[in-house]
Amino acid sequence: MSTLNSVGHATPRIDAQLRVTGGATYTADVVLPGMLYARVLRNPHPHARIRKIDLSKAQALAGVKAILTHENCDIIWTSGDTRNKRYLFNNPVRFAGDAVAAVAATDRHIAEEACRLIDVDYETLPFVLEPEDALKDGAPEIQPGGNLSPNNQGKHEPDVQRRGNIEEGFKAADHVLEDHYETPHINNAQMEPRASMAHWEGDKLIVYASTQGIANCRSDIAKDMKLPQEKVEVICHYMGGGFGNKNQCHDFDLMAAELSKRAGAPVRLEFTRKEDFTAVHGRWPTSQYYKVGVRNDGTLTAIQMRGYSGMGPYRKGAGDISGMEVYQVPHSEKTSYMVYTNKSVSANFRAPAYPQGVFALESIMDDAAHALKMDPLEFRLKNFTRKFRDQQAYSSNGLEECLRKGAERFGWKERWRPAASDVGVVKRGAGMGMGMFPSSLGRSNAILRVDSKGDYHVHVGVTDCGTGAKTTMALIAAEALEAPLTKINVIWGDTDTCPYSVGESGSRTTVFTGQAVVEAAKDLKKQIAEKGLPKPGEFLRADAAPNPQLRDFARYSFTAHFAEIEVDTETGRIRVTKFVAAHDSGRVVNPLTAESQVKGGATTGIGMALHEQLLYDKRTGLPLTAGYYNARIMTHLDAPEIEVVWVETEDPYGPYGAKTLGEPTIIPAVAAVANAFFNATGKRVKDLPLTRDKVLGVLA
Amino acid sequence: MKTFSNVNPKSVPDAVKLLGQPGKSTAIVGGGSDLLGMVKERLVQPDVLVNLKAIPSLDKIEERGGQIHIGGLATLTSVSEHPAIRARYKALADAAGSVGTPQIRNAGTIAGNVCQRPWCWYFRNGFPCFKNGGKTCFSVVGENEFHAIFGGGPSFIVHPSDTAPALVALEAKFRIGGPSGERTVAAADFFASPSKDPARENILAHDEVLVEIQLPSASRNLRSAYHKELDRESWTHAIVSAAVALEMNRDVCKRASVVLGGVAPIPWRLPKVEAMLAGKRITAELAAQAGEASVEGARPLAKNGYKIPLTRTIVKRTIAAVASA
Amino acid sequence: MSQKPSSKISRRHFVEGTGAGLVAASVVPLKGQQPAAAAQTSGTTARPRTQIKFTINGVQRSMEVEDHWTLVELLRDHLNLTGTKIGCDRGECGACTVMLDGKSVYSCSQLAVWIDGKTVLTVEGLARNGKLDPLQQAFIDHDGPQCGFCTSGQLMSAKALVTHNPHPTRDEVRAGMTGNICRCSNYNHYVEAVLAATTRTATTGGGGNA
Repeated sequence: MSTLNSVGHATPRIDAQLRVTGGATYTADVVLPGMLYARVLRNPHPHARIRKIDLSKAQALAGVKAILTHENCDIIWTSGDTRNKRYLFNNPVRFAGDAVAAVAATDRHIAEEACRLIDVDYETLPFVLEPEDALKDGAPEIQPGGNLSPNNQGKHEPDVQRRGNIEEGFKAADHVLEDHYETPHINNAQMEPRASMAHWEGDKLIVYASTQGIANCRSDIAKDMKLPQEKVEVICHYMGGGFGNKNQCHDFDLMAAELSKRAGAPVRLEFTRKEDFTAVHGRWPTSQYYKVGVRNDGTLTAIQMRGYSGMGPYRKGAGDISGMEVYQVPHSEKTSYMVYTNKSVSANFRAPAYPQGVFALESIMDDAAHALKMDPLEFRLKNFTRKFRDQQAYSSNGLEECLRKGAERFGWKERWRPAASDVGVVKRGAGMGMGMFPSSLGRSNAILRVDSKGDYHVHVGVTDCGTGAKTTMALIAAEALEAPLTKINVIWGDTDTCPYSVGESGSRTTVFTGQAVVEAAKDLKKQIAEKGLPKPGEFLRADAAPNPQLRDFARYSFTAHFAEIEVDTETGRIRVTKFVAAHDSGRVVNPLTAESQVKGGATTGIGMALHEQLLYDKRTGLPLTAGYYNARIMTHLDAPEIEVVWVETEDPYGPYGAKTLGEPTIIPAVAAVANAFFNATGKRVKDLPLTRDKVLGVLA
Repeated sequence: MKTFSNVNPKSVPDAVKLLGQPGKSTAIVGGGSDLLGMVKERLVQPDVLVNLKAIPSLDKIEERGGQIHIGGLATLTSVSEHPAIRARYKALADAAGSVGTPQIRNAGTIAGNVCQRPWCWYFRNGFPCFKNGGKTCFSVVGENEFHAIFGGGPSFIVHPSDTAPALVALEAKFRIGGPSGERTVAAADFFASPSKDPARENILAHDEVLVEIQLPSASRNLRSAYHKELDRESWTHAIVSAAVALEMNRDVCKRASVVLGGVAPIPWRLPKVEAMLAGKRITAELAAQAGEASVEGARPLAKNGYKIPLTRTIVKRTIAAVASA
Repeated sequence: MSQKPSSKISRRHFVEGTGAGLVAASVVPLKGQQPAAAAQTSGTTARPRTQIKFTINGVQRSMEVEDHWTLVELLRDHLNLTGTKIGCDRGECGACTVMLDGKSVYSCSQLAVWIDGKTVLTVEGLARNGKLDPLQQAFIDHDGPQCGFCTSGQLMSAKALVTHNPHPTRDEVRAGMTGNICRCSNYNHYVEAVLAATTRTATTGGGGNA
């Protein structure tokens, strides 16, 4: 791979100083004169009809300026549900945490107190928590039309994807394996709690949002508030993580906007951490039934999966269970049921459909290798995808190299032995998993300007949710303009000063917006060559809005993770003792921040394998583990050292050949740990997480 | 957060008087880590916080006549780092150093740790359980993987304190200030079974203050340790813990204390195990037998059966580690 | 098809039904969510207030605070020191970590009124005369902050650690900072940064950390 001047060099973030001095302004740090504080009252039942809301005591409290409920506010939160009408305040309320009222008051304590003074008369309704239970006859109906959420054709039927003939595939097999796996609801748990600050300047709405995409956030707010786009400005300069749950606009943005309108003052609405865990969304829980056919020589003949995803009561997320394409197989069938339940809403969390799917898929593939007495690495080298769905060529495919280079760095040959080889109390085991994530191309924009001093101003609608997007854009601009990084000034995070950008979701910013920067730079360079630098006070400007599409290729990033763990079989304690993450994300634009992505994503995946879940009390339907303590989020002492191996394939698309990175990093980590547990002990835990009761249970 | 006033008493009797004010909801506060969280969740709703930090010298750790006197307001950090405690009462130093995180140990006090309310998720989430003034324990047929295998009923919480098992094992005494003066009780008698009053974990009346913890003069041959097993590598409470103190004569154990944490509503002493060890050489076999004996009478709920093998292991290993230290 | 493994060891002594009678799901009013008493009134005037004196980032201050303000509320809402973040407000995440009389504490778990007579250091007070603390520079060089929301807390924990232990080992750094969650999970880089900063201090014979 050719060496470039800026791209590919480890570079500290251009805004790092503000991030280490407390100078970066996040949404809840914004103070506007005369602003009010808002809080939300939440439903304490899994399913209930509101008979009556009495606001009289709350309204009488000095300092209360506006109260919204379903009785006085019928704003529809469009992106909160892709199938049903989801209002800001719904009746019936369908999960513990559904919003009942929002109050704006002169300080936070009054807003909180006012919420307590609202009397709500609930008629409790029957509830159901698990998706398979929700599909049974007689289950309480959560949305009109039944609990099986409509598929993409609008029918209350499961999504089915078939290739080949699944029965033929099983007939051709020497061995058929079947198993069942479960994964829980897990919260994104980004450090910054939800906050939104809204105020109106005449008929223009300005929202300081905590969003992963200012452009989509603006268009959503405009739609739901029934405003023209140009009457909405969304500002987000710094935001404290989201991992998929700050895409688009959220109910808190709309609540703040409406409260501000009614109270005639700026409103800052803040959610508590508990609300963040229960009232926003997390990764969808799944129940997955796998059936796999394999020949004696290790060749896969068929993969069949029937999966149930618990979406909560609103269809905010896709609910897919993905990962199967990473195997080459002639016959496959996937049937997915996206089901309404009375648990918290599920939607995007870092590689939304993948880690839970790949955990199950890679568990059964590991069992297949074990049944055939094959090294799991050899099994994967035999069966990894060569063509997308065995049909379409990839624009680049570094999966084999990820497997080989990752295994080499890990020391797979020395560390992997047949399952349960250790005889001692503390058993070591090695496991692996592989995965892939789409790296599509698409529309995004950039505006580049140059001034008389030759300083470049790069306008991109990114928010930089922690990915380093601003620095990535600066590096791409520096490369394309053949300018030093110090001459690049990035303007970001404000819809009034930045053009449309795709938003930091789907790991698309580097590829989409980066491409726009490259094209704008080309144009600007040409202009400078023709006209020279502008006079003082004037600018040359280039706009780019490319919308490249893939035609003959499938474009994916690939990854393989390798984990070694120690299991103390007398205590059930699991420690990760070595972890290698190999990634093909095409060309790596900034190795420093890219390493952070990989280490972070892998560590989060390890937490999903070992600890995390939003656990419910089955009889009351109420969540028990909302918050960092009870959800057992990873800490410094839990985090192992992650070694990163780059496989930089040459890809003809994307800026300098860059592919997606942020999301693939979590995908195989969960499976690698689970498989290492099997390798250490010879026993398999099939429902995450690997808590002590399950670990000591299978070892007993 | 709820409105309240913070008052700074000048002395323990002053604090006792403030706590007993008629017609006011009062709460005692030491480090504040636990209490403020409960006030924010509205599990307690005091009008007055009686701030013990204001009382001079209540945070001192002093050696007098071979005994160590630990003021109730001594922070967990100062207890865990105190040279004499580390040298002679290692179980307590271990236990104090195992609590929460550095920030919690810097603010949290030993009295606060001993008197900490349970971390049962039903209690902390405001379910109307015994601890919240209700008439049921939701864990019994609910999610009970962290609940009691010993001594439960009608409430099945586990006592959350790390220092409590160590203090019981080291036979500490607790000096308590109250309206009729002071009283001193053995650590083991401070904690109260839910069978007496399922709403409470100890014998302190509302207007009593845990003023001081006294460690008896330790024989030079006393060896001790505290082992805490967590389900995350830090920052959670013990799923099972063991405080073991052995008075050794060369390799023969003269006297043993073995007290469990994380398995019962009170620090759970194991007299039978202690008797097994007394007068014997501590061998690997004896430690394993002690482990076996430690779980006699355990009655697990649906999801905490794993605590039985875990307890067995922790007891065995901690005894062996102390004996060979 | 696999049974839930936990059933193996747990059913032996299953004591379901031995507890007290259970209330039905439909009548569970959670504590703290019950409506407040009708007579209860609240207004800013009724709130107890106290005059306190303290030192913040080297500057002495004297001001009146409401008794129920937390320290982080004082810092963010009333002193405009918004570098300290609120991540959970329950002492479970570490984003609000500050140094109080030289030790790290969760400022969400301290009342403002309790800092009377004490000294507080926040992230805004780390740099001296425009020069970054070596820890801050190391955080930049090693890409500690991703989203940056936990960073101030990570820095203050690191600062408290190296104040007491200028040359910590890797394990001491991890234990010393374990009260600070990073959901971007950039733990490796934070630890590398602290080790780099403290090693540099050692080789250059001093700096801001001692």
